[in-house]
Amino acid sequence: MPAMVLSEDEALELVAFLLTAARTQVDEAAEYGSLRLLTAARRLADAITDRVSPETRAFLTGPLREMPDLAVRTADPVGYVAALDGVCRAVGQHLAAHFGLDRRPQ
Amino acid sequence: MSNPVLEAIRTRRMARALTDEPIARAELEEILKAARRAPSAGNRRLHRFVAVQHPTTLRLLRAVAPGMFQHPAAIVVICIDGAKAESFGMKPTAKGLYVDVGTIAQTVLLAAHSLGLGAGVVTSFSQAAVSAVLNLPAGLSPEMFICLGHAAAEQPASMPPRGRVTWQTLTQWERFPAR
Repeated sequence: MPAMVLSEDEALELVAFLLTAARTQVDEAAEYGSLRLLTAARRLADAITDRVSPETRAFLTGPLREMPDLAVRTADPVGYVAALDGVCRAVGQHLAAHFGLDRRPQ
Repeated sequence: MSNPVLEAIRTRRMARALTDEPIARAELEEILKAARRAPSAGNRRLHRFVAVQHPTTLRLLRAVAPGMFQHPAAIVVICIDGAKAESFGMKPTAKGLYVDVGTIAQTVLLAAHSLGLGAGVVTSFSQAAVSAVLNLPAGLSPEMFICLGHAAAEQPASMPPRGRVTWQTLTQWERFPAR
């Protein structure tokens, strides 16, 4: 069984963040939706970084951190999407390696 | 032209990263004294402040405030006293209530800056959750957090401006030309 990487307190804080972000997003600029999801991903990453494998830690402290905390789409629509695609590509590559897709027979 | 007030206005920045260093209760009280001096429409004083320094309360406020990037040493929560506003015949949506939140905020930000503290505004939070965490009485609505502490040397990049902004681009002298 995989090790627990999140305490109850940490998990509860993340649940609170996501729930309240769902509410605040009703009134806020649409581009804040992506901003909040990225913030949630970073908070989760901060909470688990010390308790994960070195490979996952490298992803959490590398590609996930490359986008500025306050980046929003309207400042640079093309660059923003490209940066998000870069992070998504990196997570896809890490997932494939972490779950051993590369080692399975085709 | 320059003087200490203009210099403070020019040099103030929104602090989105704060250090672990605590702030003194006396400093927080000075900031609250300044807040009390903020302009108030009709001198009606329809706002209340909740000053928070307890670490657990700060942690919980952060948990329900998606817009809070910093870990503050203290928070001043600016609340509208809706019941008192109603006693003046004001609707909860009266714009003066919210204008005064802004004037209080700027007063607090400048007061903090004058004391060498970092301060940042947060409005992205669940009012329902904050009311529950702070046990606010009915009628008080939390409208804005001013997060206080010592500004970290390294700050996240600020929201980039959309186009060049100067005082001239924001100002139209006298009246707009005929269209």
